[in-house]
Amino acid sequence: METLDPAVKTVWTIKGVLGWGILLPVSATVDVVHFFSNNGTFLPGFWTCILVLVCLLWVLIVPKLRYRYWCYELREEDLYAIRGIWNRIQTIVPIRRIQHLDVAQDLIEGNYNIARLIVHTAGTRSTDVVVPGLPYEKAVHLRDTVRESIAKYID
Amino acid sequence: MEEPSADFRRLHPLTFVHFVFLAIVGFIFAGIWSPDVGNVQRNSLIFAIIYATITGPYAIAKYIRFRYHVTSEEIIIYYGVFKRVRRNIPSDRIHTVSIERNMLARVLGTAAVRIETAGTGGAEGDLSHVGVREAERIRNLLKTPQTGEISEAPASPSFSMPLNRVLLSGVYQFSLGLSALLIGVLFQLESFGIISIDAVIVWLIEQKQFFGGTAESSVSVTLTVILLLLVTLVLGWVSGFIQNLVRFYNFRIELGETKIRRRFGLATLREGTIPYKRVQSFLIRSNPLMRLHGWHRLEMQTLGLQSGERGFQSGMPFAKWPEITRLAPLIRPFTIPETFFRVSPLTIQRHAVRYTLLIIIPSIFVSLFWWTHAVWGLCLLPAGWGLARLQYMCHRWAYHDGNLLIRRRVLSQQFWVIPAERFQSFEITATFFQRRLGLCTLIVDTAGAGSLRYPRIIDMNRNNANQLLAKLYEAFQSDATW
Repeated sequence: METLDPAVKTVWTIKGVLGWGILLPVSATVDVVHFFSNNGTFLPGFWTCILVLVCLLWVLIVPKLRYRYWCYELREEDLYAIRGIWNRIQTIVPIRRIQHLDVAQDLIEGNYNIARLIVHTAGTRSTDVVVPGLPYEKAVHLRDTVRESIAKYID
Repeated sequence: MEEPSADFRRLHPLTFVHFVFLAIVGFIFAGIWSPDVGNVQRNSLIFAIIYATITGPYAIAKYIRFRYHVTSEEIIIYYGVFKRVRRNIPSDRIHTVSIERNMLARVLGTAAVRIETAGTGGAEGDLSHVGVREAERIRNLLKTPQTGEISEAPASPSFSMPLNRVLLSGVYQFSLGLSALLIGVLFQLESFGIISIDAVIVWLIEQKQFFGGTAESSVSVTLTVILLLLVTLVLGWVSGFIQNLVRFYNFRIELGETKIRRRFGLATLREGTIPYKRVQSFLIRSNPLMRLHGWHRLEMQTLGLQSGERGFQSGMPFAKWPEITRLAPLIRPFTIPETFFRVSPLTIQRHAVRYTLLIIIPSIFVSLFWWTHAVWGLCLLPAGWGLARLQYMCHRWAYHDGNLLIRRRVLSQQFWVIPAERFQSFEITATFFQRRLGLCTLIVDTAGAGSLRYPRIIDMNRNNANQLLAKLYEAFQSDATW
């Protein structure tokens, strides 16, 4: 089984900070309102401190654990992936069931030269199986290998 | 873009009548729900003029731009007012050509032709509306090269529902959604002053004799709640009955050599075909009352789902078990094994803990304010444990003759039959608690399953799940075609 590129931990950390950061204006507003409403229930900046604490815990723990439990293998007949911290998921996607493939990369991933391989099937629940944190060249190589395997089945 | 030649046809001119009818319905709804301020009549008129000025010319332009040409090889459609599109749909890609005729279409002698291909969320070609003969011509042209469908349909239906069976099946139906709509209409009528719901409720509460001769306010409130619940239940049952009648009136299914032909509906007559190869799995459903009298409902999970049916097409809306096991294997062979396997008994423990937490946590919150009421919440605990036990009893599985069979759920029971060659992917999931108990859930993904309704075996022993997965995968590899 192969593991992901370690750079994905940094990418997940940045995305985690950005995700939690969306809540920052909300918590700051609540704190300012509390401060000026002479309501002494909470300390000034209480909710913002809680948010920062949760965010810190999240970005320090979750990316490392996600990385630790993510592994995949492209076998002769299928793509096999294991992932998940709380809910451990083991997926087998037979190559003959793959409809099409995408290699995707956003700005943050591009900065670290990593990409995602997205495998589309006609299924409903696991329509897209996404293998994140692959070095870009490796993602492209995997895509081409799978494409060749699909062509073998069509022939 | 290349312009359509003279061979291309337009839609039926009476398409405009459909448009006008829809516009009138829109006006009525807009009038009913428009804010009650100022001069309502004047506002409605202004709205009507604006609506007609904008959408009228657009509808005419849309009609003029829409052209189609059908040959036995393909259908070509030109359409679009602002963005002009030419769409070619080759016949060999077409999975379903269905003809729909609602009440208005039947009065006008028109029909809507919907053309579906694999992998689309809805109709890829929609000819609304053409003449009835033209609709038949299109369907015949598009079907002939593949199957010669028309000649292969048997003279007598393989399964049909006479009116008495449709009415009987309605008795077992319950629709809360439609009853909510009926309640909404009642409130709307009240807002127009046609009826007065408050007066009816007050009158009923004042009938002391009827409610046991007491008029204490607390009793009155309880009785009012009970009364409202009863009214909702009755409305739900009535609306379920009507919905069922409108949907499955004159239901017939005919099995051809390669396709299934269905025809049903009262307000909208639906007529269409489903190729056998498009059927992914069977789902046989029943509620406790239906099971008590031996009735079931067969649904076929198909590709290229129509949004209204979420990938599940009715095969036999109301049938006895022997009828289902006679007809369904003709579509996709399967036999029912004598023995089924149970999931791990540890599932009772896991679900009991889950239900206990679901009851205790809200009870603790309630107890902070009304501790006496919270005690009543604890009375639900035995019911939760009983439900956990029942779920275990009702959940079974078997792998037999190349099909995975799964039975699950207590009230709305589901029985899945999934051919091994139809699997799309395989998944084993295990939550933190499942891992502690050595359990897992096996999920097989198929094309066209719903995001909420999909086949899975919950709380299998981990070793059994691995063995079953290996067996299913082996069967898939040997049976599945590209």
